[in-house]
Amino acid sequence: MSLLAPLLLLGLIGLGLPLLAHLRGHQEPRTIAFAGHRFLAAKGEVLSQRRHLRDRLLLALRLLLLALLVLALSRPASRHEAALAVLGEPHDALLVVDGSRSMELRSEADGRSLFTATSAAAAAIAEALPPGSRLGLIGSDPALPRLDPSADPRAALGALQARIDAGPPRPGSWRLRDRLAAASALGQADDGRTKVIYALSDRTAGGLASLPSTTADGLAVLPIAVAFDAATGTLEGTRGHPAHLGIASASWEPAPQLDPRAMRIRAEIRSYAAADEDHRRPVSVALRVSGEVVTQVELEIADGATAPLEITYTAADLRGPLAATLELVADGEPLVDPLPSDDRRHLWLAADLRLTVTLVNGEPSERRSHDEVFFLATALADQTGDAASSPAGRIALRNLAPDQLEAQVRAHGAEALAETDVLVLANTAAPAENVAAAIRERVDAGMGLWLTVGERIDAEAYNQRLGELLPLLLREPVLAGTAPGRSTAAGEGFAPANLDHPALRGERSDLGLLGARARRIFLLEPDPNRPHEVALTYHSGAPTLLTRDYGRGRVALLTTSVDRDWSDLPLRPGFVPLALRTVTYLGDRASQSGAHSLLVGEVWSTGLPGPLTVVTPSGRRIALSPDDDGVHRLTDTYELGHYRVERGRPGTPGAQAPLLFTVNVDPAESETLPQDITPPTIAGDRVFAAAHMPRWRPLFGLAALALLIESLLRARFRRRRRDGLSG
Amino acid sequence: MHSDSGNALAAVLPPALRDLLRGRALTLARPVWGQRAGRHLSARAGLGHLFRAHRPYVPGDDPRLLDWRAMARRDRPMLRQTEGEDELSLCALIDLSGTMAYGEGETSKRRASAAMVAALAHLALRQGDRFGFATGGDGTLGLAHLRPNASASRLGALAVALSEQELRGLCPWRELVAAAAPRLPRRALVLAVSDFLDPCPPTSAETVRDASPDGASVSAEQELWGAFAGLRARGHDVVLLQVLHPDEVDPPWTGDEFLRIVDPKGHRRSLTGTANALKQRYRARFAAHQRALTRHCEANGIHLLRVHSDEPLEDALIELLARLGGLTPSPSPSSTAARTKKTKKTKKTKKTEKTEKTEKTEKAEKAKAPSGGPL
Repeated sequence: MSLLAPLLLLGLIGLGLPLLAHLRGHQEPRTIAFAGHRFLAAKGEVLSQRRHLRDRLLLALRLLLLALLVLALSRPASRHEAALAVLGEPHDALLVVDGSRSMELRSEADGRSLFTATSAAAAAIAEALPPGSRLGLIGSDPALPRLDPSADPRAALGALQARIDAGPPRPGSWRLRDRLAAASALGQADDGRTKVIYALSDRTAGGLASLPSTTADGLAVLPIAVAFDAATGTLEGTRGHPAHLGIASASWEPAPQLDPRAMRIRAEIRSYAAADEDHRRPVSVALRVSGEVVTQVELEIADGATAPLEITYTAADLRGPLAATLELVADGEPLVDPLPSDDRRHLWLAADLRLTVTLVNGEPSERRSHDEVFFLATALADQTGDAASSPAGRIALRNLAPDQLEAQVRAHGAEALAETDVLVLANTAAPAENVAAAIRERVDAGMGLWLTVGERIDAEAYNQRLGELLPLLLREPVLAGTAPGRSTAAGEGFAPANLDHPALRGERSDLGLLGARARRIFLLEPDPNRPHEVALTYHSGAPTLLTRDYGRGRVALLTTSVDRDWSDLPLRPGFVPLALRTVTYLGDRASQSGAHSLLVGEVWSTGLPGPLTVVTPSGRRIALSPDDDGVHRLTDTYELGHYRVERGRPGTPGAQAPLLFTVNVDPAESETLPQDITPPTIAGDRVFAAAHMPRWRPLFGLAALALLIESLLRARFRRRRRDGLSG
Repeated sequence: MHSDSGNALAAVLPPALRDLLRGRALTLARPVWGQRAGRHLSARAGLGHLFRAHRPYVPGDDPRLLDWRAMARRDRPMLRQTEGEDELSLCALIDLSGTMAYGEGETSKRRASAAMVAALAHLALRQGDRFGFATGGDGTLGLAHLRPNASASRLGALAVALSEQELRGLCPWRELVAAAAPRLPRRALVLAVSDFLDPCPPTSAETVRDASPDGASVSAEQELWGAFAGLRARGHDVVLLQVLHPDEVDPPWTGDEFLRIVDPKGHRRSLTGTANALKQRYRARFAAHQRALTRHCEANGIHLLRVHSDEPLEDALIELLARLGGLTPSPSPSSTAARTKKTKKTKKTKKTEKTEKTEKTEKAEKAKAPSGGPL
């Protein structure tokens, strides 16, 4: 038996507390007025209750209760070893091969990748299986071959080899742990054969380090590390592990202050090696635009460090979006890197978003600083301008008062919002029924809706009229940082942003909002059944900015004001990129051209009407069909590079500007430094996979029983004393 | 008022005790000195029946008192003197402090002390003696009824004081005795009723000091006993009626029960302890106190009668009357020899006096019908 949290045994020190209480504590004395009082005291000595243990049974119970609780909290577990007669008994060996991008890591000596080494490891396992065993195969990449256990190991080995021969693994990111359930399902369920999972992978967070010792249904999982000098089925240390470089992130923004055609490109170059400040290596980064290298930057990076990079590029002309690629080079050629897939980042530069954003001002003011939408309009204003005067301008702003919006909807119905890509309701009262209906219709058709709160927000009215659109229903506004017992509000800070949210991908974790504080926030009604994604939260965990998809459109909700009434958010440097990204994200589906970056394997979708044809970086054309909800989706995004989505046949009168997006690798798969994993023990001809079987649950039951008995005894003793006093 | 006092007297004097008093008399073994004629042997010559002495006639004497036989023997006119018979003055000093409230119902100290005092008062008033009482309780003295008189209403006042006054606080015994002493008639019978367990507790200043709180009270107690002895020295008969509850004789505390003992007088700090330990300590010191009290009373000729509130009061009353009448020996073994010796010395005189007293008593009882009184 072992303890998973042995430090909690220090709680046994608390056993002294009941002892002390029983020694120090005293029953309530019986008071007697007695004439012979003088004969009881002796020269000032005060008789006190003799210190001895009272109610020993009760004390024993209390000590037992405390000890049980402490022991249960220290999580005792017995080591359960599943003895696997790998070499002695026939069984079903289920190979789970890691096909993620990290397996592409190559040996610097012979250029072989980890992925190719899985074939030798699998062959070694197959050779060691006792006669009568069967071999099955499944990969972390769903595209890898899937074979039920077969008595002929060549089937699985051949399938694996064929896949290896077909080329490097797809640059996707799959966690090995997520495939264990599918591996367990290989073969027939009740055939009575012992099954063992052999996981062939590297020792990364998504590979062997993600594996448990056993699956949920009790199958043993043997981690088999694939290393460059690996013998069959044995583990190696970190010696010889190749380091590599990669581009961790890249983004761009217009730099109109330099030139109307100028763009600022930012990137982070990272060395995936054991940290060593003294060992620095030179790196060259080239910017290729439309296939030509336009600039190259030299920098040095220490092992294990990250180096920022900034390039300013001025386009010759901006007659269309520009396909740009940042790549690591050496002597003009792509860098020879053990993991080359992360040496490039693809961007669409100067893509014209042409978003039409309608701001409905719920609290206009002649004083700009008090105007509800002043700060938002200013943040978006850098991007405004028409295509002719400012090719870099992407957003067209319209300002409306709530009654103007209502008048337009009354006159034209939902068509009044036909030209609007993103509608922002900034602290407006709940719209009238007809306006709410028009908004619902337009969002369903692909318009983006951004709601910001303030004094004019009536939660009940909004929930009634626009509740269907909201990510979560509104509850009530509160002073931020309030808590029971606190007389003054402390304000709420903002937690690091959720960079997994598609609207914020690529941003810094604090989003430039470090130090921002909200004085008032709007609480929401939690509802796990409502689909929504939280992009930003307060320190307390309450959501700040959350989004949801509705029909073909998207809705965002900001739970504090977009002006300075409720927070100092508009004064923070991060407010501008937050506003831009939110508006861009909301308008993405409705925009006439949406250029953004996907991670490999992510689904690209749009609510725009078809016909749509996707042109992949390799020139492959894929015709998209809308789903039942009218959304076009592309799931095959395993090709890295620039994608173009044609709308209509090019050159025909019905053709519109193409949609653009890029697909880049997930930087998480670039973390190839091996992590520590627990190897299986090998004793004689058996391999043991150990698991800790929890044993603390019965202890909680015993503690509950002890508590019940203690309560009954305490009541009984109390009743007995009371009867003794009254007798 | 009369009916209220009658009701109060009925409340403090139980019927059994009342019945016992019929046919009983309160007599003293020694002569009294009363202002009026009574039924007790007087310390001076008077118009009694018992021969006292012969003395020569001097002009002015009542010639009816001439004893012709003595004249014949002495050849000179001789006057026959007889013993006087005076009334007795009974003064009760009653403790109405908080300690006298101990006990419930038939075993309460209050009931026992009130019954004993009322019985004696009733006896005295019925036979024409005088009765007065003073009380001490809650730190104050009640001296309104101290001067003895033979009024039947005095009994009612006593009953009211015994039944209706709340028992609390301290009885200032030293002050009570000091106040009563100059007001007492000559050769009075002083009855002090209390438990005498802690008649002189330390003052509030002394309770603050933890060191030897009992030392101060011991010296004050010595002073009190000295005051009683002083009364005795002035010729008064002093009876200490110590009323005790059986719990005060043998506390019913057992085991490890945790007790908090508080002083009913409020002059001592409450203390806590386990039952067994408290009981052991109490027993030893209580016994020592009782022995000391007995020795002091014997040394000063003070009658000490211990009444247990759970025992029949009739027995105690009979014993008291017998002691006062000189009919029973001292209860203390240490003084038995002295009393026996004294008895031998005056045997002849006592015999004569006893015979004459018996005759006198019988005559007096025949001559005087029992007083109706308020009963």
